[in-house]
Amino acid sequence: MEKIKISVLEDFSPTPGPRYIHEGKFSGELFRQQVLFPKVSEALEKNLHFEVDLDGTAGYGTSFLEESFGGLIRIHDLSYQRILELMTIISNEEDYLIDDVNDYLKDAYEESKK
Amino acid sequence: MKKLYSTRKYSINNLRRAKRSLKSRLIFKKYRKLKNKADLGVSKPARTYKRKFEEPYKDYKRIHAPENFSFIDNSEGVVEFISQLKSHFDEKKKVFVVLKDVKIITYDAIVVLLSIMVRFKASKIDFNGDFPDNGNARRILDESKFLKYLFQNFRNEDRYQLGQNSSIVTHAWKDVDSELGNELIKNASKTIWGTERRCQGVQRTLIELMLNTNNHADDSRKGEKHWWLSVHHDKHNKKVSFAFIDFGVGVFTSLNNKRHGSKFFGIVDKLKERVKFGNNAELLKLIMDGTLHRTATGKPYHGKGLPGINKVRERNQISNLNIITNDVHASLDKDLFTIMPKSFSGTFVYWELNKENLNCYGEN
Repeated sequence: MEKIKISVLEDFSPTPGPRYIHEGKFSGELFRQQVLFPKVSEALEKNLHFEVDLDGTAGYGTSFLEESFGGLIRIHDLSYQRILELMTIISNEEDYLIDDVNDYLKDAYEESKK
Repeated sequence: MKKLYSTRKYSINNLRRAKRSLKSRLIFKKYRKLKNKADLGVSKPARTYKRKFEEPYKDYKRIHAPENFSFIDNSEGVVEFISQLKSHFDEKKKVFVVLKDVKIITYDAIVVLLSIMVRFKASKIDFNGDFPDNGNARRILDESKFLKYLFQNFRNEDRYQLGQNSSIVTHAWKDVDSELGNELIKNASKTIWGTERRCQGVQRTLIELMLNTNNHADDSRKGEKHWWLSVHHDKHNKKVSFAFIDFGVGVFTSLNNKRHGSKFFGIVDKLKERVKFGNNAELLKLIMDGTLHRTATGKPYHGKGLPGINKVRERNQISNLNIITNDVHASLDKDLFTIMPKSFSGTFVYWELNKENLNCYGEN
């Protein structure tokens, strides 16, 4: 089955940084704008599964992940259910990040309903 | 000309100038008389030595560093020391730091000393000091290059890097710098394991602290304050220690300053309704275990900020985590939260990376 692959290390940076562009280099906002949103929206349009690989980087601040994934719903208004349906997160080095990302998506979805 | 000298305007000005001149001559005469009296019987070479070496800083305010100059082991003494320096900094008074009597100096205190020195010098306030008589304390100061920087001028800059090619390196900046974190971890892992490894816990800790400085050091002036980070490599014990400091407002003051619209606005009062706590030490405990975040958001805690750093410690990604902020010193490994008599306006965080801590193979 065709699948869209996104790797933070290969497609963005080995050193993911803060939340917003103005806070420092390689921010979650930049990652979402340049890499994540274009690929995720393409996957949703074409109804393709997509895989986000978080391994291999120096490590993540929580804000980077929250802004990247939560922002898909909060800023770009993408469908929470469709993202859940088609997304696979790979994080073998830090397995707790998978739960964190799912929570960020859920929180953003619940906020958007208010 | 005669006409000019005899005008009323000229005679008033002349009288005023004569009075001023007399006053200053009398002051100098008094000073000279006292000086001659003090120098009576002292040879010329001895007088020159005294002028050059014994009293060059007589108009400086002398501030004594604590004998045990360790932020972790003597937090009260160091907070008092910082507080005295801060009040002189605010009043723009010249300062002479007396380090002569320091018996113990630990690596966590280096960041305090260097950051304060640069703040003074960058603000063009004279700052000087002497050196510890104790050999070990002097050696640690030497390693940090403190002595070299003591005689150097600093400009007010966004970024500082001190002590390159030394076992203690110090960095300061205002933004979040994930690349710097990565480099520091690479170097640290070489000291500990002999090869480059990735330590995501340390990277998260650094990013969260840099972000905290950027966002919360002073709630009204985001991104204006520096963070300071000193890293010490102990090759003998295969251990690297990180000491991070910002001179913002500290955790509790920051919480109290939250504005209407923030999810943390009035959080301390909300928390009081749900959980019993008596003082800031107990409040910090609730912050570190995520209770405060859960109360503010009504959601499970996702590891942000200071509690996120505690999670990193719980996962054994870092060791010996200590936090000093406002009037609380928390030693997380010992589960010890103590109140200090004097408050520190800022946040200090210390942790260590050793060979028992989790890490990942492979360069990125």
